[in-house]
Amino acid sequence: MKNVTTHPGPMLQVLNVSKHFGGNKVFNDVSLALEPGEVLGVIGPNGAGKTTLINVVSGQIAPTSGQVMFGGEDVNPKPMHQRSAMGLVRTFQQTKTFKTASVYDNLERAKLFSGRGIALETPYFAELLRDAGLLSRLDQLSDTLPYGMQKMLGLLMALITEPRVLLLDEPAAGLETEERHFIDRYVATAMTEMSCCVLLVEHDMELVKRLCPRICVLDGGSLIAEGPPDEVLARREVIEAYLGTAGEEEVAHA
Amino acid sequence: MRKKTLLGRIGGAELTALAVMLGMLLLPSLVTDAASVSVLTQFMIALMGALSVYIMLRMDLMFFAVPAFMAVGGYAAAILSVRYEITDLFILTITAFGLPFLLAIPLGMLVLRMRGVYFVLVTFVIAEIMPLILFETPSLTGGSNGISGLPAVTIFGEYFIETNNAVLMLATGLALVAVLLTVAVTRYFKSQFDSIRENEILAQSMGLAVARYKIIGFCFAAGIAGMAGFALVEMLMTAHPTSFSAMSSVNYVAYAIVGGQSSILGALLGAGILVWASNLFSLQGEISQGLFGLLLMVAVVFAKGGVIGILRRNAAWLCRLTGHGKAPAVAGKSGEYA
Repeated sequence: MKNVTTHPGPMLQVLNVSKHFGGNKVFNDVSLALEPGEVLGVIGPNGAGKTTLINVVSGQIAPTSGQVMFGGEDVNPKPMHQRSAMGLVRTFQQTKTFKTASVYDNLERAKLFSGRGIALETPYFAELLRDAGLLSRLDQLSDTLPYGMQKMLGLLMALITEPRVLLLDEPAAGLETEERHFIDRYVATAMTEMSCCVLLVEHDMELVKRLCPRICVLDGGSLIAEGPPDEVLARREVIEAYLGTAGEEEVAHA
Repeated sequence: MRKKTLLGRIGGAELTALAVMLGMLLLPSLVTDAASVSVLTQFMIALMGALSVYIMLRMDLMFFAVPAFMAVGGYAAAILSVRYEITDLFILTITAFGLPFLLAIPLGMLVLRMRGVYFVLVTFVIAEIMPLILFETPSLTGGSNGISGLPAVTIFGEYFIETNNAVLMLATGLALVAVLLTVAVTRYFKSQFDSIRENEILAQSMGLAVARYKIIGFCFAAGIAGMAGFALVEMLMTAHPTSFSAMSSVNYVAYAIVGGQSSILGALLGAGILVWASNLFSLQGEISQGLFGLLLMVAVVFAKGGVIGILRRNAAWLCRLTGHGKAPAVAGKSGEYA
């Protein structure tokens, strides 16, 4: 396998990507780049195309036009499982686990399928498992876990495959306020221990401000702002997109 | 403690199925009544068809192409033995398994792209096309005359499989091999198959090449169906397109689903109960098809896990009924379906 980490320049590049479902332009000419070691936040109102962005980048759906570059390589022809095996790994907004398998088996399957992975006993990983409350529940069926734990298990399944780029789709959605600090530790671990970079789609602004030095704002399928969170969130067009004056019609259709 | 060997992964249900099949090898020497021998031979063929469906159901794929692959296996054996005078059991078995297996690779690449109901429909179309191909290629398949007068299968050129009991022995042996192969493939690829069934997208997002494993399962399902076809042409001593009608595919699906798709024992029970029932009431032809349809509906609506599901729910009650002696066995089995 080609080692994507040796590539100079951005780890992940989205170049002029559009996605149309029939006449519905979910996503229009979006470009963004993720530098090595970076955590990039992507925010936007509901229906702005954030999940579509992750679907396209991860290879789950093909873009109508445009290119996705991973480690300098055009990954457009590669299906999701190949991108994942290269280290471009996504997580899901909804809880997704293998229901009839135990927590342990879920993590083992993640390693088996990716062909990579770290041992569960690795100190920083065991620490995250403990944080999530899963270390004492390794033999429990994932289906019987509380919602928040299923969500965190999904995140840990992505992390155990040693990703180079993590695409997190609203990781904090469905978590209790006190559970949300897990996301902070999770992202910190991914960065420091695996030098992994993160594309974070999230609604929780406090979390985004804490984690992301740079954010992008999607609205109606287009990138409307980019920069440091405090500065971007103060911009007029961003406030309008959220409070729903100018962008409301488009958002309702997207 | 958590590391499991392949042998360790084989659960109670699989061991029970293998033990039952080994026991069945004694049947040809015990049963002399011609009608019973015929029903048992039908059961063995039905079981192989059901196992073929069962493998695909492990990946949540409903599969109606069993008769088509049976035809490939059956006709391959018939053509070899009649036209080329190759009657050796091992060569015929390998051909009957191998040809559908290989054919399933390109076919699988084509049809496994389709999802859900589209895949189901396409497999049914394959089953519809196969008899047409058989009718339209008389130089190879004998067309509407079929291929009749199959010579007896030989073992090491010495023993001849001629009597009905010998054919039952052949069918039982093939069914045992089919059970072994099913256990091996569903256990070896258990993680992959279970993950595809439970959450295909999640499995892909972790890096699993879902298409590859679907094709592997498809190949084994096709090969086992081919062995069923081989047993069928040996039982009838003729290969004819009507033996492989598309409608008969419903039977094999019914066996697997009525029996219960959560365990290999479901295929055994389903094939056993339905073959026995259809013979007992002499409900042949169209009424039989209607009965299967009705049973399929009833099973889907009222007994979601099939007969196995009902047994599992009533395992505790059954333990009490059958006394303490059998209790651990039943408990062990029910644990397997979790």
